[in-house]
Amino acid sequence: MAAGAHSEALEELDTRPGRETIVSALVRRGLIGLSVAFLAALLLAPLAVVFATALQHGLQTYFRTFADPDTRAAIRLTLLTALVVVPINTVFGLAASWAIAKFEFRGKSLLLTVIDLPVAVSPVISGMLFVLVFGMRGWFGAWLAANGISIVFAIPGIMIATLFVTFPYVARELIPLMQQLGNDEEEAAITLGAGAWMTFFRVTLPKIRWGLLYGVILCNARAMGEFGAVSVVSGHIRGLTNTMPLAIEALYNDYDFTGAFAVASLLTLLAVLTLVLKSLVERTGYRRW
Amino acid sequence: MRDGQPTVLPGFGLTLGFTTFFLSAVVLLPLAALVLLAASTPLHQLIDAVASPRALASYRLSFGGALLAASINLVFGFIIAWTLARYEFPGRRLMDAMIDMPFALPTAVSGIALTAVFSANGWLGHYLDLAGIHVAYTRLGVVLAMTLIGMPFAVRTVQPALLEVQRDLEDAAETLGAGRWYVFRRVVVPAVLPAMLTGFTLAFARALGEYGSVIFISGNLPMKTEITPLLIVIHLEEFDYRGAAALGFVMLAASFVILLAINLLQAWGRDRLVRRGA
Amino acid sequence: MAPVRCPGVSITLDQLTKRYQGVPVVNDVSLEIGDGEFFVLLGPSGSGKSTLLRAIAGLSGLDHGRIALHGRDVTHVAARRRGVGLVFQNYALFRHMTVAENIEFALRVRRMRAAERRRRRQELLRLVALEGLDERLPAQLSGGQQQRVAVARALAHKPEVLLLDEPFGALDAKIREGLRRTIREVQRELGITTILVTHDQEEAFAMADRIGVMNLGRLLENGRPQDLYVRPATRFVATFLGAANLLLARQGGDGPRWGAWPALHGSGASTPREREVVAVVRPEEIEIARSREALTSATYLGHGIVEEVVFTGALERARIRIEEAPDAPILAHANGDGAVLLEATRAQFEQRAFAISPGQSVTIGVRRAHILPTPLSSFTICAPNSSAAERLAGNPLLLDLSSRMKTRLRKHLEPMLGTSTPIRDTTASLPGTTVIAAGGDVAADTKWLLEHGVEEILILPEHAPSPQRVLIHWTDDTARRATLAVSASVLRHVAAEAVYVDVLPEQTPVAERSSGIRALLDARSEARAAHGLEIRTEMRFGVAAEALQQRLEESPAQMLIVGIGRVSQLTGELGELLARPRWPVLLVHREREAPAHSRSAA
Repeated sequence: MAAGAHSEALEELDTRPGRETIVSALVRRGLIGLSVAFLAALLLAPLAVVFATALQHGLQTYFRTFADPDTRAAIRLTLLTALVVVPINTVFGLAASWAIAKFEFRGKSLLLTVIDLPVAVSPVISGMLFVLVFGMRGWFGAWLAANGISIVFAIPGIMIATLFVTFPYVARELIPLMQQLGNDEEEAAITLGAGAWMTFFRVTLPKIRWGLLYGVILCNARAMGEFGAVSVVSGHIRGLTNTMPLAIEALYNDYDFTGAFAVASLLTLLAVLTLVLKSLVERTGYRRW
Repeated sequence: MRDGQPTVLPGFGLTLGFTTFFLSAVVLLPLAALVLLAASTPLHQLIDAVASPRALASYRLSFGGALLAASINLVFGFIIAWTLARYEFPGRRLMDAMIDMPFALPTAVSGIALTAVFSANGWLGHYLDLAGIHVAYTRLGVVLAMTLIGMPFAVRTVQPALLEVQRDLEDAAETLGAGRWYVFRRVVVPAVLPAMLTGFTLAFARALGEYGSVIFISGNLPMKTEITPLLIVIHLEEFDYRGAAALGFVMLAASFVILLAINLLQAWGRDRLVRRGA
Repeated sequence: MAPVRCPGVSITLDQLTKRYQGVPVVNDVSLEIGDGEFFVLLGPSGSGKSTLLRAIAGLSGLDHGRIALHGRDVTHVAARRRGVGLVFQNYALFRHMTVAENIEFALRVRRMRAAERRRRRQELLRLVALEGLDERLPAQLSGGQQQRVAVARALAHKPEVLLLDEPFGALDAKIREGLRRTIREVQRELGITTILVTHDQEEAFAMADRIGVMNLGRLLENGRPQDLYVRPATRFVATFLGAANLLLARQGGDGPRWGAWPALHGSGASTPREREVVAVVRPEEIEIARSREALTSATYLGHGIVEEVVFTGALERARIRIEEAPDAPILAHANGDGAVLLEATRAQFEQRAFAISPGQSVTIGVRRAHILPTPLSSFTICAPNSSAAERLAGNPLLLDLSSRMKTRLRKHLEPMLGTSTPIRDTTASLPGTTVIAAGGDVAADTKWLLEHGVEEILILPEHAPSPQRVLIHWTDDTARRATLAVSASVLRHVAAEAVYVDVLPEQTPVAERSSGIRALLDARSEARAAHGLEIRTEMRFGVAAEALQQRLEESPAQMLIVGIGRVSQLTGELGELLARPRWPVLLVHREREAPAHSRSAA
């Protein structure tokens, strides 16, 4: 990453003549202190409290939570959702970024706006959209009920809602990356006689692999952690349509704080893992902005 | 110009076709359902849903809280971005990585965790309580949760802009005799202003729609600490699809205005470097 | 403190050093630049020239050294109070300000009145030929115009010194030309002392009153463009400023002699021997003729075959392969791979007089050759067998040195080396610096080599990191001059700091200590005056070998250069140190003062 160059720049800044006056030292300490305090209160304390509460009655109580069949079902459902949603969104992201970054066509900016939409709208509205379409009194509600298919308040609804909320992540990562990398290598491959798939797998994919991985990591984190949209479509049936975030809410509302924070601790570990992977990807030299 | 030209690359039809199909099925169709439902609702019913006292109170909290949270993030986001971009100190890399935590942490987790920390018997809430400041189950708690989830946007838009402006421009200003405060006011701030405003708007949008991390700490008292997304959920749970759709339409409209604002801001950021404007 | 104003001197740099992670990127640079002078700092990228410029501007701190502007010490003065104008490669204009606001920035900072600001701005815009563009934004200007604005902005507050950091780097050739002329005119009109940093030698020639060439953080040489071109003191300057053929020659009493070292030589140090030297022959100083009789130049070089002829307009460029013969000249950078050819350029009249084409056999003459004053001409690896020789040839420090010096790396097998057997092949000749491994019986090997007339021995341990510091020491004053010359030559080719360590006996009386200090200062000024080399000095007390050993233990990346006057000092005073050195050691041996070189660097 540019971190090396950045550190060098910082080092040079520090050693400038006339740089370290009393005022600037005070400003520097003050700003660092302020940043640390702000982040400690808003980020560190909540993170710490998750583990502190989860483990407050010892490890045994902690692990008992995961013996509960409803909790196990929630974990399974979350994993299943991620397993279905992330690959679909990866394919979508690749297709969308290929079309948008490599070609000129009318309506491109509209397409970009639509891709940005799930990030801009409230997750509650995202969930609601599918209730309006597939719900009991929705567009297809009657037809679905007649044919015995349940989408809302069932697993397919959860999948679709998650799909909606998470599809921008891979695409938004890849579009600027592909635009920036340009078409030269692909065009060279084509002129050398490579076919479409070969060009994609041998030239494009290796080129964008870190960006792709980055997008997939973010997409996965959001898919496993989504709350609002899933909450609206799930129906909260324990052991059946509760994902992990929903299980947290259910346990919390039952005043089983240890249980709620135990499940939360798993998702927190996932978040930490996501950040670690993200940093590792950044260390390969891939830059986000 | 023909669509798909001028490159020799293959796959235009396939990828654009798939993209369009996917977006139609997953986004446009449900969106149409919402718009049509809202449009087919009789006007008085629509007004009842959108302008009910409870709805109006929820707008005040959602928009007001989001505005306040975004403003806090405007200030602290800049300070944190500045600290990360300008100072070398132990733990800088860790802090840099931590900024993205609210992105990665599921909102339900941050919701219950914030509540635990800031409730009257929580780690920090305990002391605040002694000082007479009540955070959990008040509007202040709502603002706090909104601040947390908007923070990464504010930092991550300003940080690269600061890194970019830094070296040469500031060096130039310094050799021309400008003091540090002068350089900050006249060179740094004008250069990163578009990024700051974009970050502000993004943080505002995120805070406005936030649901998971807010509902745990807010207490959800109607007319007092009830945010608009929660009101939508309540309508849905009562199978009042029209009421939900009407409120959803309002929120969606707000989202579009924000998207537009972001685009305009970015255009302005580019534009003012080319044209002599306001 | 009253400012001491040295008349005529505008910028004084005294031993500036700046390190990044231990590596000196600006290495002991001292320089004086006169009032109104246009000085060009020339060097390849990464040579430290931009860092040096930023240090002068106050944008980068120093680890060592002082900077004075017009006699005022500004070493610790912040950039904004130095009164310099700096122009950046990528303009660094404030993009949200108009041209007028950009130019007036420094005046606004100084709270100048609006009317006065406007007057000054218009004057500057006229100066850089941009009248009427006041209200434009930088993005509405071309690159060349932006850079003119940047120059005007840097001059607004009437700085004492103008610094230009690769100002033409981002511009194309045509615009470059025009801007160059503008800057030169502005500089002459204002009489402002100017430093320009560039990696383009053509640019340097076109603009400079004086050029300073930097490489590896060191300021190698500085002088008028024509002097540097005609009489460079270092190989780097010879090859970086224009094209040059480097030839190995033998310098005896009467001028250089080309060709290989005679096979039989040196059965002892008794006969006055020739030294191997490096000669610079510019391509335009090479004459090509049909036969030896047709040569008009004084010196005959050899025969060759034309490999390639390229027509470049005014000149014709030819590459000639030198035919093998016992007396054929040796190109310094040819390491037996045969790919290195002699370069020649010929004017139109020469082409008309004698047309050449590839494949043709020709006679080569030299109109003018310049002998470099460097004592390190080439390297001869001396090893008991070929695998040991290969290992030595792959030593990173030796590879660095020989490739940066663009010089020859010969191998010579000496089967008895490393053993203590006295029977050795004494008929061999070892031109240049002899390189041996630090593994064997170093003391015996060095003794034997020195007794057979070798004067410089480089002892290389197998895994020695590239040195960041070079310690210099001599045990005997007769070796002083040679040791300094060798040190200067080495230090031009490694990015390291030079430290001269003088060791006085523990019980030195106070009165004699001051004479020790005088010796240190003498060494420093001799290094500077004779070789343009800046060194630090240190005084230690105790036994030389122990003191040096102690200093070497401090960090692994060091190298030692030791001068000795008698072979006996090897086993005596320095025996410990040389038994099995863990650092590269360069041993310089002079029994008596060598005659001064043909030219010492100014």
